[in-house]
Amino acid sequence: MNIWKISIQNMKSKPLYTFLSVFILSLSIILLLGIKQLKKSFEYQMENNLGDIDMVIGAKGSPLQLVLASVLHIDNPTGNIVYQDAKNIAKNPLIKSAVPISYGDNYKGFRIVGTSDTFTSFYHAELKAGHRVKKSMEVVLGASVAKQLGLQIGDTILSAHGLIKNSIEVHEEKLTVVGILKPTFKVIDRLIITSLESVWDVHNHDKEHKHEDNHEAHHEAEDREITSLLVSFRSPRAFLTMPRKINEQTNMQAALPKFELERLYQYTGIGLQTITAIAYVILIISGIILFSSLYKMVKERSFDLAILRTYGASNFQLIKIVAYEGCIISFTALFLAFIFIKTGFIFIFKIMNVEDKLYMLQALSCEDLLNVAGLVFIITIVSILMAVYPILKMDISTILSHEK
Amino acid sequence: MIHTNQLTFQYNKNEPVFSFPNITLNPQENLLVLGKSGIGKTTLLHLLAGLLKPASGNVSINDTDINHLNSGQLDVFRGKHIGLVFQKKHAIPALNVFENLQARLFFSKKKVKTEVIDELLKQLDLYNVKYSKINKLSEGQLQRLGIASAVIHQPKVILADEPTSSLDDKNCNIVIKLLIEQTQKNKANLIVITHDARIKPFFQNTIAL
Repeated sequence: MNIWKISIQNMKSKPLYTFLSVFILSLSIILLLGIKQLKKSFEYQMENNLGDIDMVIGAKGSPLQLVLASVLHIDNPTGNIVYQDAKNIAKNPLIKSAVPISYGDNYKGFRIVGTSDTFTSFYHAELKAGHRVKKSMEVVLGASVAKQLGLQIGDTILSAHGLIKNSIEVHEEKLTVVGILKPTFKVIDRLIITSLESVWDVHNHDKEHKHEDNHEAHHEAEDREITSLLVSFRSPRAFLTMPRKINEQTNMQAALPKFELERLYQYTGIGLQTITAIAYVILIISGIILFSSLYKMVKERSFDLAILRTYGASNFQLIKIVAYEGCIISFTALFLAFIFIKTGFIFIFKIMNVEDKLYMLQALSCEDLLNVAGLVFIITIVSILMAVYPILKMDISTILSHEK
Repeated sequence: MIHTNQLTFQYNKNEPVFSFPNITLNPQENLLVLGKSGIGKTTLLHLLAGLLKPASGNVSINDTDINHLNSGQLDVFRGKHIGLVFQKKHAIPALNVFENLQARLFFSKKKVKTEVIDELLKQLDLYNVKYSKINKLSEGQLQRLGIASAVIHQPKVILADEPTSSLDDKNCNIVIKLLIEQTQKNKANLIVITHDARIKPFFQNTIAL
């Protein structure tokens, strides 16, 4: 027999209270850590997707839309820009590399991006098999595309017009898979990469079909359009001068992905802040429940505690009985919450069948875990101190005299 | 051996002062203290157990003046040398019968073999409820468990506060006989404080408050 055993037996004798204390404390810890993890994963995923892209130039419109469309590939483009104009800007000495992209088609929901060779270097993507795009109508697949569609080198695909899956407006030209990229866990994994010429050819061919009387197909380079130009800077100084210059002096717009994403976080941040506040409120409530569970024991079982004193227990030993009980509840709650955080998301992702997004999950840092554990520790200590106060003032003689 | 000298007690300054007759018990002598309720019986018992501090006078048990011990020493002394039996509450409900006795020994800092505990449980007819929860015990079993808790650590003095008042005649006889028997086995002193005249025949020394 020891103090720990008495504490544990005490907890067993009021299972509902004990369960409730552990449950609600775990819940608040899971909420706090879960929010941290999701926020971190979301921001990491966004920033990771940027690769080395410092600036994106596209048609006038919403800069956020431009970033979402051309960098993260989750929105429609703002429009097209003239390729020659983009080329002129790319000559600026502040620019390290500039990559044109052009798109408008998809294959089974995966975007087909016409671009130049340098595009893959933004994401440090390497070929797993095959070779790069050498001529028109050849494509290289991102890792996820190849895996999900089960495509291999030599397979041919028919692109569909638009950016979402449809089977009505299918182009007739076959695209041939010539290479597959290694996984990068960046947006490129979900893209089908081809040359600019392929995109132009597919669409020009369509135009020829539709306007058969028009014999003069527009093939002049000056007329050609691209969706946007992705730029990486040579020096940070460019961040200050380049976007303003382009926005003021040309009919194109320049957007800084990092800046636009910051703005996006600020919008979405309000929601996260609200949930975080709720999580803190629940944490405080769980502290109150923990306190009341301990205090209930001290008050309702004051006679038991007085009997223990007649057995030779000191005040300090009685306080330890209460303190151990509080600690066991807190540690169990922390333990369960940590386990849930580690395994729960994987489980939820599996149920939602989005396993390929698992790489998004960012492990919580030791600091995050310690912060929350520290907070729980403080709440536990405060609850224990408040609950044991009656023990310090306990008058054994009076309690024992009121037995009858 | 227990000895009191001119014990007085006062709960508050404006309240009446209780003064108690001197008690001297030689080894293995027992004492019955009879008195109506409100007369200070429990107060006397608590003074003897060191749960209350007297206004004047002193209590010595086996040549230790317990009023000269600090509260920590008193906790240890009480745990080792005194066994208390109460009227109704005798055990911690969260623990079973066996665990209650183990807890008793733990706080007394005494080690007793499981066979000794089993033997005591058999003597008190509690062996069949060794692992029972406290709330499953009958009144008589509870009172016998109270005796077990008071003697398992082999105390010098056993103090009983109305140990038989809530029992029927049959259980009253059993309990008081067991109490005296266990006291003799431990070579201890027994002081019973009660208004229950049924147990008078069991004692040679009686004082009335």
